[in-house]
Amino acid sequence: MITPKALPRRTFLRGLGAAIALPVLDAMAPAFASQLPGKAPVRMGFVYVPNGMDIRNWTLDYEGKLQGLSRIMAPLEPFKEDMIVFGNLTHNNGRALLDGAGDHGRCCGSYLTGVQPKKTAVDIHCGISCDQIVANQIGNQTRFPSLELGMEDGRQAGDCDSGYSCAYTNNLAWRSETQALPPILDPRALFERLFGVDAGLTPEQKSRRNKFRRSILDFVTDDTKKLEGNLGPTDKRKLDEYLSSIREIERQLERAEKDNAQIDPHMAKPYGIPADFAEHFKLMTDMLTVAMQADLSRVFTFLVTREGTSRSYRELGIPDGHHPLTHHRNEPALMEKVSQINTYHVKQFAGWVEKLKSIKEGNSSLLDNSMIVYGAGLTDGNRHNHEDLPTVMVGKGGNYFKTGRRVVVRRETPMSNLFLSMMDRMGVHAEHFGDSTGPVNGLNLG
Amino acid sequence: MQFPQGKPPVGIIFDSAMGSRIDDVLAMALMYGLDGKNEARVVSVSSSRSNVSSAAMCEAIGRFYAGAASGDFGFVGRLLPVGLAADGRIGDETPLVTVPLAKKTEDGKPVYNHGIHSLMDTADTPALLRNAFTSQYDQNCIVVLAGPATNLVRMLGLPDAKDWITRKVRMLVVVAGDFAGGPAEFNVKADIASMQKLFAEWPTQIVVAGAELGAWLKYPASSIETDFAYAKDHPVVDAYRAFRAMPYDAAAPGVAAVLAAIRPKENYFKMSPSGVVKVLADGRTEFAPSATGKHQYLVTDPEQKEKVLKVMVELVSAKPVPKAPRFRRPVDKKAVDPAKAVVPDTAPKP
Repeated sequence: MITPKALPRRTFLRGLGAAIALPVLDAMAPAFASQLPGKAPVRMGFVYVPNGMDIRNWTLDYEGKLQGLSRIMAPLEPFKEDMIVFGNLTHNNGRALLDGAGDHGRCCGSYLTGVQPKKTAVDIHCGISCDQIVANQIGNQTRFPSLELGMEDGRQAGDCDSGYSCAYTNNLAWRSETQALPPILDPRALFERLFGVDAGLTPEQKSRRNKFRRSILDFVTDDTKKLEGNLGPTDKRKLDEYLSSIREIERQLERAEKDNAQIDPHMAKPYGIPADFAEHFKLMTDMLTVAMQADLSRVFTFLVTREGTSRSYRELGIPDGHHPLTHHRNEPALMEKVSQINTYHVKQFAGWVEKLKSIKEGNSSLLDNSMIVYGAGLTDGNRHNHEDLPTVMVGKGGNYFKTGRRVVVRRETPMSNLFLSMMDRMGVHAEHFGDSTGPVNGLNLG
Repeated sequence: MQFPQGKPPVGIIFDSAMGSRIDDVLAMALMYGLDGKNEARVVSVSSSRSNVSSAAMCEAIGRFYAGAASGDFGFVGRLLPVGLAADGRIGDETPLVTVPLAKKTEDGKPVYNHGIHSLMDTADTPALLRNAFTSQYDQNCIVVLAGPATNLVRMLGLPDAKDWITRKVRMLVVVAGDFAGGPAEFNVKADIASMQKLFAEWPTQIVVAGAELGAWLKYPASSIETDFAYAKDHPVVDAYRAFRAMPYDAAAPGVAAVLAAIRPKENYFKMSPSGVVKVLADGRTEFAPSATGKHQYLVTDPEQKEKVLKVMVELVSAKPVPKAPRFRRPVDKKAVDPAKAVVPDTAPKP
């Protein structure tokens, strides 16, 4: 269909206290423009898992084209052609460097900042994280400069690891050297942030809405109908799928809230947090997907659980705390449990990658137009080392990165070099970042 | 590693063009000998000779000294990555490294273990050197440059390098040049531009061991024949024999440089007045005395020659001392696995 005038990219469906941004529709592009590659924006994200890995079951022993994946990475098998597995990336500033114990505090604090956090529980000092550097530069193009997500409640003050503040172990994103950005943990809070349900409502309106709690989609029905009248069949289907996914998120939220109320009204978790880890992960990433789809933000961080966590995984039959397990001292039974937890995390991530790949944007997919690093700030949780960090990047960053391979860089190559390359792809052309020595060469298709 | 009683021994960062001269092997042996005596710690090793065998030889020597004299690898602790210039000015393999590395046991295994088989097994040198600085106490680090300045100058290009050097490095010891009016020396000639930049920009004191020192101090072939008998196979001996037809005495300015750096109070050598070393376009070196200059060069002292020779041979040929493992508390297996943990019955008995 040739449209004489394109639908503005910033079109919203509005209603009482609600504003739903739209995904990329063909009608938003000038005639035939949807055929052009690289049209959709590039998104950058970081998904962080704690306590390192059972590295025996993570590391691949080859370079080049991805063949068989390791046991922990196996859930990503269907997406081999969409990812790069890195070898040898190092975070020197996660090492002790004369500051003694506290690898968990250091590794998380340094992960996206590339600097060594100050060993303190009071006057915290770290660095600006790479996601925030990008958000500062391009964040004005989206409703939210960046999104910070997490799944485990964590203190923001006090000593969480051998003198290192909890601010280091419980946050990934740092707006300034002294200000971390705590992740949103509660799916309801994230939903309301994304769709602004409560924004601008008077207390009376909030009360009325809560009394007759309805779908956010009900508030934007008029706008939806008007818009549909101007869309072609492909866009109509796309819009329908998109709004259905929002409705599904609402249902998940309602279900979680109902379940929580029944399970234990005194539980410490916020009301809307699902008790089930996988369900929580799915809910958070479903909302992130919508946010990416609707270009609400192009930058995000996701601290799956806080660094050094002792969360147990009873759903896997593992009542032990994650952190104590990683100090397995090479006991096979304990190592096996660590591998199971690591694989479980990757499985959740792979489920999300599948969804990102299924969402079409022009001739590519939402996954193609993203670059999402999945990794840990410790290599082996037993050894507490910081070289050859487990790192995977999924997505082509907008038809830019040559995926489907394992890229082994030289030993001691800073992790900051990869982040410098990603920042560059986002249009932030910094000469240095953290302890970088230059970009990682040979990643792109050119 | 924790050192509860003050600073640890001085950290040595050693960069050479392993494969070019036997002096580099001897200097490494001396370093590890002093490391074994807890007079120094080897904290970084790298090579500007751009072939993988060069780095592999560095690692093989390191592993030999970190393990047992038999060559069985009994290493305890973190193995240092070896830095290598990916595209340095010199790159060909030499028998000095290929012969020892090719040596096999009776059952066909390499006599000298190493884990370097491709460029990706080596470290990016600027990052390696900078990272080594970051883990040293202030002014508790000595850099020994026994090869061209390629690697050090690349590291100098990092934005924070000079700050780290100023803070951490006590002195740079350079094996280069000739202060007796000789021609362009090998390490300078191999990368003149880098050596010029190094002397012009390096922020700390520089002590230079010129070629004339090598002519004065030679490692005796007789020591190679007799003093390493504690090991059936020894990388220093195999490298020495492969470098040149025996018997020969090897110029050892690198050994002199390490000795002077780690044991400055012994006054094995005299020092020139302070001044400035200038590298000329043709690779020759000149020294201009200056009260504000940060450069000095080692001057031979005939009265010390016998003593220096004796100490050099003793330390280079010293039997490796494997480092004791760090103390670890005995593992309480029941406590490690919470599932198996026994909860003590502390409830009062009825």
